[in-house]
Amino acid sequence: MAERVGIVAVAQTKYSPNRADANEGELVYEAVKQVLQETGLKFAQDGTGIDATVTCSQDFWDGRTISSCNVMSYVGHHHSDEDKVAEDSLNAVYTAFARILSGHQDVVLVATHCKESQGDKRGIENAAMDPIFLRVLGLDFLSAAALQARRYMYKYGITPYQCARVVVKNRGNAKRNPFAQEPLDLTVEDVLGSQVLASPIRRLDAKPTSDGACAMILATERKAKKLCQKPIWIEGVSNCYETHYLGDRDLAECDALVKAAKKAYKMADITDARKQVNVAEISEEYSYQELLWMEGLGLCGRGEAGKIIDSGMTQLGGQLPVNPSGGMLSGNPTVVAGMTRIAEGVLQLRGEAGERQVTGAKRALAHGFTGVCGQLQGVMILGKA
Amino acid sequence: MTTEKKAEKKPEYIKVEIARPRAYKWSSGKYLGKLYKEALENRKLVTNRCPKCKQLLWPPAGVCGRCNVEAGEDWVVMSGEGTVLQYTYLVFPLWDPHYGDRLANPYPTATIKLDDGVFLVHFLEEKDPEKLKNVKRVQAVWKEEGRGRGLGDILYFRTIDE
Ligand SMILES: [Zn+2]
Repeated sequence: MAERVGIVAVAQTKYSPNRADANEGELVYEAVKQVLQETGLKFAQDGTGIDATVTCSQDFWDGRTISSCNVMSYVGHHHSDEDKVAEDSLNAVYTAFARILSGHQDVVLVATHCKESQGDKRGIENAAMDPIFLRVLGLDFLSAAALQARRYMYKYGITPYQCARVVVKNRGNAKRNPFAQEPLDLTVEDVLGSQVLASPIRRLDAKPTSDGACAMILATERKAKKLCQKPIWIEGVSNCYETHYLGDRDLAECDALVKAAKKAYKMADITDARKQVNVAEISEEYSYQELLWMEGLGLCGRGEAGKIIDSGMTQLGGQLPVNPSGGMLSGNPTVVAGMTRIAEGVLQLRGEAGERQVTGAKRALAHGFTGVCGQLQGVMILGKA
Repeated sequence: MTTEKKAEKKPEYIKVEIARPRAYKWSSGKYLGKLYKEALENRKLVTNRCPKCKQLLWPPAGVCGRCNVEAGEDWVVMSGEGTVLQYTYLVFPLWDPHYGDRLANPYPTATIKLDDGVFLVHFLEEKDPEKLKNVKRVQAVWKEEGRGRGLGDILYFRTIDE
């Protein structure tokens, strides 16, 4: 059997609505520098340091093709082995994991950045649609998400109150996370009283504009044990795509996520995720998504997520805390979000999550998605044993 | 003998034209920002030096990609004079994608090694194809108007005596 792959160091920038002071390279280096210092590793392709880099950025957000060129000297690309993954950065960690399992590379740096403040969010998201067939309809991820929220809430009886409770929980959790952008003390009434963006989604149901970066180092089991006291192991990982055209989907369902989760659980020998996972970090650009994705991940039955949020089970201190970091809703860039979820999972399992620590967490779930109505879904299971 | 030409029926293709670009507001960052500022305010071309390999970075940056070490604040004002290595004589019009300007046509573009050691791609003032063959030493000519565009603040490089 192949050696396991461990995560030996993680770092995040503080997430911010506008980092006008830094370009993409300078921003990503704030995170990269920390993982280099923590491990003492240098870029060296002779087997003594970092063998390769996987980056994750999105050309439309960066406003250029080959957007990894924006960061190359800051992540050791020069005359080196580099791979760029677009979409969500959970898939960049997946790629680094596969590189190590190939047996040809032992230590891989993964770094991701996004500056949402620099681009036209709606225009960029509209550009994710088929260029000559669908763009003309003007959909962006917000308007598409509103359609999905409406369908999901109708089909499964999820209420606006239950969606608002996700916001109250996550913005509140963010108060305990030093990297979080916008912690807030909110009530359900605050959320339901905020401006409608695209009904049923209100301003506080949506995440704020965010800039930031995240970096981590992965290594073979042998090297991971030498490089760090508490390596965290990737026990399972998978991704799955939905069809692009919304008309081909029942938006209340998330079949791709169900499939991705099944494959990741199988790899990690998980038979009952709700019992075997101690903490879940779930990417939610909009409040309904935490509930819908929880169902897709099998953390509860279909239509049960509303009752679960009402019960307090997913609060910090509950049976299965979800997004103790504050999630994307508290401010976290698209693209970067998947790696933020993994980094938070690693901190939880290391017992280094500070005030947001889930007591005794042994196994964490990290989720990332990208595209219209969660078109691409990725799931990773992390373990400390 | 005459032959009657039959009109061939060509297939019709529909093309969808999207003319408007998306807007961005990029941050120059700390290091490239200094290049922009010095060019705009002082008509000077600056960059920083790697503390390890001692080479000038280009463009200025926080890390030397050759050495993977932090470059720091060892700033150098470059002379703006250099030697042409290669040139091309462009006969189709270039355009400036940031600002939408059409650049004059024809426009000779060259690789220039500045005396400080930095390689630069920029325009040449000399437009005579024959004279271009002999252009060696050149010097930056700064724009008077429309500044604040980094390297775009240099109009072109003018031939100087060796
Ligand atoms: Zn150097």
